[in-house]
Amino acid sequence: MTVLPAPLVQLAAALGRLPGIGPRSAERLSLHLVQADKQFVEHLAAVLVGARTSVGPCQTCGALTEAQPCGICADPNRDGSVLCIVERPVDILGFEKSRSFKGRYHVLGGKLSPTQGVGPEDLRIAELERRISGEGVNEIILALGSDVEGDATSHYLARRLRAVGLKVTRLAQGLPVGSGLEYADELTLGRALEGRREMSPG
Amino acid sequence: MGLSTLTTERQTDSVHLVHLRLRDFRNYTRLEVEFRPGFHLLLGGNAQGKTNLLEAIYLIATLRSFRGVGGAQMVRQDASGYFVGATIVGTSTSEVKLYWSVKERRLSRNGTPVKRLSDYWGTLRAVVFCTEDLALIKGTARIRRRFLDLLLAQTSPGYLDTLLRYTQALRSRNALLKQHRLDEDQLAGFTQELVGAGQELMRERRALAPRIAPMVQSAFHRIAEQRDALQWEYAPQVDGDFNVALAASRARERTLRTTVVGPHRDDIQLLINGRSAAHYSSEGQKRTLALALKMAQAEHLTEVHGAPPLLLIDDVMGELDANRRAGFLPLLDRARGAGGQVFMTCTEENWPRDLASDLSRWKVQDGQLRRAVADA
Ligand SMILES: Nc1ncnc2c1ncn2[C@@H]1O[C@H](COP(=O)(O)OP(=O)(O)OP(=O)(O)O)[C@@H](O)[C@H]1O
Ligand SMILES: [Mg+2]
Ligand SMILES: [Zn+2]
Repeated sequence: MTVLPAPLVQLAAALGRLPGIGPRSAERLSLHLVQADKQFVEHLAAVLVGARTSVGPCQTCGALTEAQPCGICADPNRDGSVLCIVERPVDILGFEKSRSFKGRYHVLGGKLSPTQGVGPEDLRIAELERRISGEGVNEIILALGSDVEGDATSHYLARRLRAVGLKVTRLAQGLPVGSGLEYADELTLGRALEGRREMSPG
Repeated sequence: MGLSTLTTERQTDSVHLVHLRLRDFRNYTRLEVEFRPGFHLLLGGNAQGKTNLLEAIYLIATLRSFRGVGGAQMVRQDASGYFVGATIVGTSTSEVKLYWSVKERRLSRNGTPVKRLSDYWGTLRAVVFCTEDLALIKGTARIRRRFLDLLLAQTSPGYLDTLLRYTQALRSRNALLKQHRLDEDQLAGFTQELVGAGQELMRERRALAPRIAPMVQSAFHRIAEQRDALQWEYAPQVDGDFNVALAASRARERTLRTTVVGPHRDDIQLLINGRSAAHYSSEGQKRTLALALKMAQAEHLTEVHGAPPLLLIDDVMGELDANRRAGFLPLLDRARGAGGQVFMTCTEENWPRDLASDLSRWKVQDGQLRRAVADA
């Protein structure tokens, strides 16, 4: 006694796996798509596959990019002596919009979480250490979330990186807790960056 | 203390529950009810749903059961989840919706999902008086810590966030201590977080003592027969620097694979005439002291917020002798005088008539609530 055709149900099930899409929205979207202009749907399918195929993490910094390395890593005008460490690729966007940072980035890919089984080997720390020795880096700016795990990861990195003689700073306080850098407005980010402080040995 | 002056002179907008909706909560299949400010008497035989109703109201205020159970026990038998909805009126109106099932938990206020617990906290403040209170005296330190934490979360902005941070740091640290190969650098990172939040917790708990102790003392004297000396003392497990204590516990925490020192092991010392109330006091004294703690909680909330909390009183009147009752009643009167709301359960019509002239009486029967006709 299925009312909807099987392909429609399949489409709704697939859409329902997207973040923020509940069963009802999934059904509404799939109903819309099967009745939409055919050319539009073909275009949508093509750009979907195209984007997924051509975009991937930069092998150097971990940012999302089409080219290897990414535009920022390849730009000779960026200051290679300063690396800003962020949790996720999306965090880079905020800094770039604020135009307040001229160095390069490194995406960690998460934060330490002993309760979720995420350890240092699961983060892009080895890559970071390779870059530090290879790119003439002398300052590391830690721009991780300010929840317990983000802060503990900052302490951990500071301890590990100071050991190799780097200057380690972190953003001035005042970024929204837990919500991530992507929500911080440009002005706040600029100020947080300007007011960055050297981390004290813990 | 100046509570009576406080409540009569500073008439503030008190907060009350005006509407309650239950679905599949305990023995309530559906309930839809409106409450006025003031005094509500819930009458009914045993096992009809009186305590369950107080539990639902307390849940709106604190998001936990005062019976110390999890969500599953509160779901009506054979149902898949419970719903508690409430309209709370204070300086503004809040529409709260709480749904719980094994698969899904939802909490919203005015249609917006609540993301951070501390954003929700303070929507409704309640103090419950129930038989479980005796555990505050007889029970383990955990129960007294919970009392302390609730009181501070209800009165000190930021305390709840600090407590959540501490708990998270503690869990992470304990997970590290249980790992096969201990990573000292990671441990140090989480230790720094633990110490930061832990020191803040201890500072707040210590600062509360001189404020709450006199209130407990005077409440105790109002309801006790003898004028025994009562002391409330914050008993931190770590006396001194948390970092130093952690370092000193190094060998022990590595053997036991868990964090053995810190505010998660704190206690409150309650002393009657200089001796531990848990070990040296009579049953009657214990009951009086438990009641005094809750009365002090209510008074402290009133003082801090300028408005009385909701009082939820389950069955305690029946257990009190005339003396204690006489000491307890002014609290209820004051709460009412200040425009607060009181919900009190009683099994029979032996409710203290000395209490109130204008009260709403409800009949609770088999998960239904009916307005009882007022008798003269
Ligand atoms: N999850 C549940 N599902 C269905 N019924 C429940 C559930 N939990 C408790 N009950 C029922 O609720 C009733 C108890 O309600 P409650 O504790 O509110 O009683 P009460 O009116 O306070 O009685 P008393 O005067 O004895 O304290 C019991 O009949 C119990 O079986
Ligand atoms: Mg009961
Ligand atoms: Zn790059």
